Amino acid sequence: MPQYKAPLRDINFVLKNVLNCNEHFASLAGREQVGEDLVDAIIAEGAKFAENVLSPLNQVGDQEGCVWSEEGVKTPTGFKEAYEQFAEGGWPSMTADPKFGGQGLPNSLGLVVSEMTSSACWSWGMYTGLSQSAARLLENYAAEDLQQTYLPKMTDGTWGGTMCLTEPHCGSDLGILRTKAESAADGSYKVTGTKIFISGGEHDMMENIIHLVLARIEGAPEGTKGISLFLVPKFLPDADGNVGERNGVSCGSIEHKMGIKASATCVMNFDGATGFLVGEENRGLNAMFHMMNSARLGTALQGLSAGEASFQGALAYATERLQMRSLTGPKNPDGPADPLIVHPDVRRMLLTQKALAEGSRAFIYWVSQLIDVSYFSGDEQARKDAENLSELLTPIAKAFVTETGLESANYGMQVFGGHGYISEWGMEQIVRDLRISTLYEGTTGIQALDLLGRKVMGSGGKQLMVFTKIIHDFCKANEGKEEMAPFISKLAELNKEWGDVTMKIGEKAMENPDEVGAASVDYLMYSGYISLAYMWARMVAVALEGDRDDEFLKAKLQTANFYFQRLLPRTESHKLSMLNGAESLMAMPAEAFAF
Amino acid sequence: MPEYKAPLRDMQFVLHDVFKAEALWQGMPATEEVNRELADAILEESAKINEGLIAPLSQSGHEEGVHWNEGVVTTPKGYPEAFRQLAEGGWGGLSGAPEYGGQTMPKMLVLLFEEMLYSSNIAMGLYLTLTSGAALAIDSHASDELKQKYLPNMYSGKWTGAMCLTESHAGTDLGMIRTKAVPNANGSYDISGTKIFITGGDHDLTENVIHLVLAKLPDAPAGSKGISLFLVPKVKVNDDGSLGEANGVHCGSIEHKMGINASATCVMNFDNAEGYLVGEINRGLQGMFTMMNYERLSVGIQGLSAAQTAYQWSCEYARERLQSRAPTGPVNKDAAADPIIVHPDVRRMLLTQKALVEAGRAFAVYVGKQLDVSKFGDGEAKARAAGMVELLTPVAKAFLTDKGFEGTVLGQQVYGGHGYIREWGMEQLVRDVRIAQIYEGTNGIQAMDLMGRKVAANRAQNMQALLGEIRDFAQSADSVAGMEEFLTPLRDAVDNLESLTEYVLGEAASDANAIGAAANDYLHVVGFTLYMYMWAMMCRAVLSGDSQQGEAFATAKLQTARYFVQRLLPQTAALSQSIRSGSASLMDVAEDAFV
Repeated sequence: MPQYKAPLRDINFVLKNVLNCNEHFASLAGREQVGEDLVDAIIAEGAKFAENVLSPLNQVGDQEGCVWSEEGVKTPTGFKEAYEQFAEGGWPSMTADPKFGGQGLPNSLGLVVSEMTSSACWSWGMYTGLSQSAARLLENYAAEDLQQTYLPKMTDGTWGGTMCLTEPHCGSDLGILRTKAESAADGSYKVTGTKIFISGGEHDMMENIIHLVLARIEGAPEGTKGISLFLVPKFLPDADGNVGERNGVSCGSIEHKMGIKASATCVMNFDGATGFLVGEENRGLNAMFHMMNSARLGTALQGLSAGEASFQGALAYATERLQMRSLTGPKNPDGPADPLIVHPDVRRMLLTQKALAEGSRAFIYWVSQLIDVSYFSGDEQARKDAENLSELLTPIAKAFVTETGLESANYGMQVFGGHGYISEWGMEQIVRDLRISTLYEGTTGIQALDLLGRKVMGSGGKQLMVFTKIIHDFCKANEGKEEMAPFISKLAELNKEWGDVTMKIGEKAMENPDEVGAASVDYLMYSGYISLAYMWARMVAVALEGDRDDEFLKAKLQTANFYFQRLLPRTESHKLSMLNGAESLMAMPAEAFAF
Repeated sequence: MPEYKAPLRDMQFVLHDVFKAEALWQGMPATEEVNRELADAILEESAKINEGLIAPLSQSGHEEGVHWNEGVVTTPKGYPEAFRQLAEGGWGGLSGAPEYGGQTMPKMLVLLFEEMLYSSNIAMGLYLTLTSGAALAIDSHASDELKQKYLPNMYSGKWTGAMCLTESHAGTDLGMIRTKAVPNANGSYDISGTKIFITGGDHDLTENVIHLVLAKLPDAPAGSKGISLFLVPKVKVNDDGSLGEANGVHCGSIEHKMGINASATCVMNFDNAEGYLVGEINRGLQGMFTMMNYERLSVGIQGLSAAQTAYQWSCEYARERLQSRAPTGPVNKDAAADPIIVHPDVRRMLLTQKALVEAGRAFAVYVGKQLDVSKFGDGEAKARAAGMVELLTPVAKAFLTDKGFEGTVLGQQVYGGHGYIREWGMEQLVRDVRIAQIYEGTNGIQAMDLMGRKVAANRAQNMQALLGEIRDFAQSADSVAGMEEFLTPLRDAVDNLESLTEYVLGEAASDANAIGAAANDYLHVVGFTLYMYMWAMMCRAVLSGDSQQGEAFATAKLQTARYFVQRLLPQTAALSQSIRSGSASLMDVAEDAFV
């Protein structure tokens, strides 16, 4: 079982050297005071907690899983205690609104802590991650009295939260959901219906769980325009704001899953439960969608976190496990064989993991900064631009980082040979846990439609042009730097091609709406590889300015080189495939798929 | 969980319409009694027993797993009875030698039985197919006395077989094994040592298990040239064939694995167990290699099989699950939403599975044909087929399993969140098939075997023969109307593969790492090229009127071929670029610089 070690050097490199976090924090209204000492302290303490408290729980959690009974759901040994420590440490309030006791730190800093907790123990991280997402939503959308009642306890971590969207017959297609809300005389609602796949819907880690539930008010319009959002607590607060009477919410069962077994995935039954409207009637999806950017980025982060954990395990194994001799002559002549890492194909797997993890880290941290700006910048134009850009990049981050994270986790397992398949070694758990991330929070296919359909085509290409302009400017600014040249020329070429490809698909889509869906996943992956190429080029630019003898920076340049030579060519295949169009997908009648 | 239904029509299409199996069989004395009628009867019976008996035990076996208690291994409920029925049906002796009760069926037919068996239940299938593998090694190398004593009961499924190679410190690198064989006065040997990862090492399906064990004599040379092969029964067999006393063979524990939970993966302790030499002293690996070509194809078929099941089930789900509307307008107006098969991206996932599975099946049969001709044929054809077997086996093992894994992941993805839930069965397919990329030589080892031993070592002679065969095919198919759209990409693929081969061999002249650096990507280019070849052959069968499966089937074949050409074959572009970047980006990174 790999012992997680937070990649502090890389985290610091990305945060400080590539993304200039000090400058960034200074540009955020109300967040200016975040100094380097504080950043360092948070990262160091977060790393300790992840390494020492959470990492040891990961395998236990997988083996024990959650246990359901009439009384509720019991989380695995140690989960509750770890959470108590987390809450005592003040972590749940990190990015919360100071009005309700939060520390008001930027999300892009909170994200670093989430990366570490997710790498150490994915399932555990879900309880806190979802609770914080629910709190952020309430901060932005709930009426003040609801905020006053619920947010202080959600902020200090006494209470948690969930998002209740999916029903058995509706996942991607929320327009057909059936959960009902009847208005009561006192202005509250009675919520009735069944929700499935509710992560953290019921558990024993926090004293109350605040559900955010999508439902239809009687007489609401059909489809997505008739959906409202409700706050439905597990326990109704009493007059003092403490846990009072039990509400009509219960967990009917928990799912048996491929992975994230320590995360309770619940069927939630709402039976005339008292709920309170959040935001306006029939505008529930808007509030959800607003939150979705950060929730999706959180899922992208899980892909990165697990990829990182898998890389660490595989690297340790590849340097220790002795098997066969190097093709260029023994490298470990005193041992019976050479370590695996001498073999080119093992290096291919490790470097793929490394290049994806480091590129994804830079990418996600950057997108998170954009989201910070979109919320807190004092400059309205900057806010708007950042919002546009983060909306474009979020589906890329979500789908690309989870898809490539899965590839990476499979490589990590492959490096272990037969041992990778054995539970005790921990590598197969990473694959099983990670597998959920291309499914939940909108499948890869849904992200791809969001990117190409809503964001790129929906804005007539404008949202994309914001990004290609940034890349273009970056390439211009680095023109003529000899060592940058191989990276810049390729990036500039792809950046131009990106626009051309988009135009071509746009033209086809005018003729045939199926062209968007037919191109979408190839388009998203294509966009992902270019986005990471941009991040790698930025890292190269920073590394070249540093100490030439610094082994870390040398490795950065080599990993960038690997990325450009061995992974970036995949854009070519995605391009060829998507430009071949929808015809070969749509021609076959449904009956002919199998005889 | 859906039911498994054997794809008999496609199997018959491949066997009869594409490869004209009957004519081939009747041209070889050993198989001349096998005709189409018999083959179809075998396929139908195989479908019945697998659909009705073996498939229904898959999920319960996954949930229940194998249990170990004080050295006794118990398989899941229903397994011993089902295994007995398989054995009584003669399915264990299909390809066995007739003098010991086998049926000498051609591999191209037997492998379709294997496909159904693994599609139904990989874990159960392994007990039977490993027995066939062990029997094959005994048949090829053991003395007549050993054959007489052991083979009839192995073919009849009264006893099973196991292959004992790996030790905890020696997986890929068998030269380092430590298990000892000390000669006794009576010609037998005392075998002592510990083997791990022994599939079917112990169980309650049969009264005896026949182990084939690699071990070293006390004075054996170091490394792989000092390894001998021994037959070690779990229970000793008396001269009259009855069971005697227990041998010193014990199962120390079983592994907890990611999947194939119903297959016992055993730690086997040999404690002065009585063993009998198979083949010559110090030539044990050769004995293993004979059967390895069959075993590796069989593992490849596991990939194909799991992907076939995933395709079937996800196809069914996509036709039934209603979610969102088709981009071109509702097609299922009376219901709340359209079946998800209307969505282009769902079609992409289904057609990718379909295109890979159907080409994979044709490829497996094609390799089976080479095995048959190399075994039963004569003269130049036999020699040529033997060369093809050498060349194609690593591709069959690695490409079929890599694509098999990809197929199951896509099938799971079609199910959305439900794909992650155990009850639906999709996650089991992913978990079960994952081992196939690892065991019988990891796919990295297969790639090295292909690029290094099979291509570079004989200066690409066999590869040239293959490319020549494909070019001849393209020429002969040129006159068939409608073939051009398939022959053009086939010719391009062959040219590309030829030039890549030249490139790598050229690099290898001065760079010992060139082969390892290219190996994985090269194997995939070879795989895609062969799949293109398979699709062209299938299209020719359709377009020249050889298909007897009806109009709709024929049209679907052409459409799937088009999908392959347009949307999957472009993957070779990225792989080719990656190969041409050489080994520097992999090898320049210092070992310490990885983290």
